[in-house]
Amino acid sequence: MKTREALSRLTPLADDSVVVCSLGMAANEWWAVTEDDEAFYLHAAMGFASSLALGVALGAPDQRVLAISGDGSLSMNLGTLLTEARNAPASFVHVVIANGVYQTVGATPMAGRADTDHAAIAAGAGIPWARRVDSLDEVEEAAAELAGSQAGPHLLVLGVEAEDIPIVPPPQPYEGAEMKYRFGRAMERRLGRQVFGDEGY
Amino acid sequence: MSVHETAMLEAFDAAVGELGLKVSAGLPDDWTRPLLDHLRGRGDVAHVDVAREAEAVAIVAGAFLTGAPSAAVMGATGLLTCLGELATLHVRHHIPALLLVSERGTPDDGRIYQEVQGRRLKPALDALDIPWLRVDDIDGLRALPHAQRWGRVQKRPLVVFLSRALLRDPEAPGALLAR
Repeated sequence: MKTREALSRLTPLADDSVVVCSLGMAANEWWAVTEDDEAFYLHAAMGFASSLALGVALGAPDQRVLAISGDGSLSMNLGTLLTEARNAPASFVHVVIANGVYQTVGATPMAGRADTDHAAIAAGAGIPWARRVDSLDEVEEAAAELAGSQAGPHLLVLGVEAEDIPIVPPPQPYEGAEMKYRFGRAMERRLGRQVFGDEGY
Repeated sequence: MSVHETAMLEAFDAAVGELGLKVSAGLPDDWTRPLLDHLRGRGDVAHVDVAREAEAVAIVAGAFLTGAPSAAVMGATGLLTCLGELATLHVRHHIPALLLVSERGTPDDGRIYQEVQGRRLKPALDALDIPWLRVDDIDGLRALPHAQRWGRVQKRPLVVFLSRALLRDPEAPGALLAR
C-alpha cells in the first residue's frame, strides 16, 4: 500500500487526537492528506517527534496523542520505545511508516531496510499493543480499534511501499516560531488553559 | 546521606514546588542522581527516566506546549550529546526549556573524562546562543523559578549549571578554584 492511502485511513483516529509528526515523509504526507494546521510538524531533530509527543501526553494526560514517525526517524531514537513503554499514557499511539528507505532524500536504503520487525522490537521493549498492518483494510481495522483503546501505549506499523516521488521541501506554509504558536494556541483552545501567558510568550 | 546533601535536596524540593513543576525528565550522572531520585519520588511530578538525554529535552518541549511547567536534568556529557536537538527543535521553534545540568570538568572535578566538557561545553552553548547560568550554593537554588521565567522571556533553552560544591561537597579541595 502507499503511504498517503494508509494515512488517509487513519484520519478518523486523528479527529480527536493531538498529532505530532516527524520530519520528512511523515510530516509531508500527513499534511498532504489532512492540511491539519493544528498538528506539530518537525523539520529537524530527526527521531524525536515521539519524545515531543510524549511530553505533550504527560502535560495533557486526558488527551489522546498520536505520534507519526518514519522508520528512519524511529531508527534515530529506538530508545523512545523503552521510554514510551513505561511512561506513555494508555491512549498514546505511535504510528511508524515503514518502507525501509529514507524517502525524502530519494528513497535511499536505510539500515535494516525492510527486514526490520518494528512491532516485535516494540513488544520486546514492553509496549503492550504493537502491530504491523500491510493492507488498507487492516489499517482501517486498527484505526477503529485504537480509537477507543486504553490498552496501550500502542505502536502501529504501516508496512508501505517505497515510492518514486520527487524530493520536495516541507509543504507546510509555516515553520519556526509560527509552528510553536499555532500548535500552542490550538492546545490552549483544546485544554482551556494558557500555554503562553498573559504577554503571549 | 550527608548533612549537606540533605539540605541541598530540601532546598531543591522547595524550588521544585515554587516552579510548579508538572513534568520532568532526565538521565543522571553521579552528581545529578540525587535530584532525579527526588523528582522520581514526588507524587505531583510526572517524571520520565529516558534512554538518551535528547529524549528529555524533547519531552520538556512537548510539556511546555501544553502549558505544563517542566525541567530536564542531566550531566554535562549528556547535554553535549543533545546540542543538535536543542538547536533544531528548541532554538528553531523558540521553545524554552529549563535544563539542570552538572557543571563537570571544573577545577574541583578530578575526572579526566570530564575535562573536555569543562572546557568546551559553555563555548558550544554560546555558539548556539543558548544562555546559561550557574548555581554554586544551596541558597542559589532559590533562584530557579526566576531562571525559569527568564528562560521563557528568552524563548530558548536555559541551562542552569549546578556546581560540584552545590551537588557534592562545598568543602572539597579545589572548590575555591571553581568559583
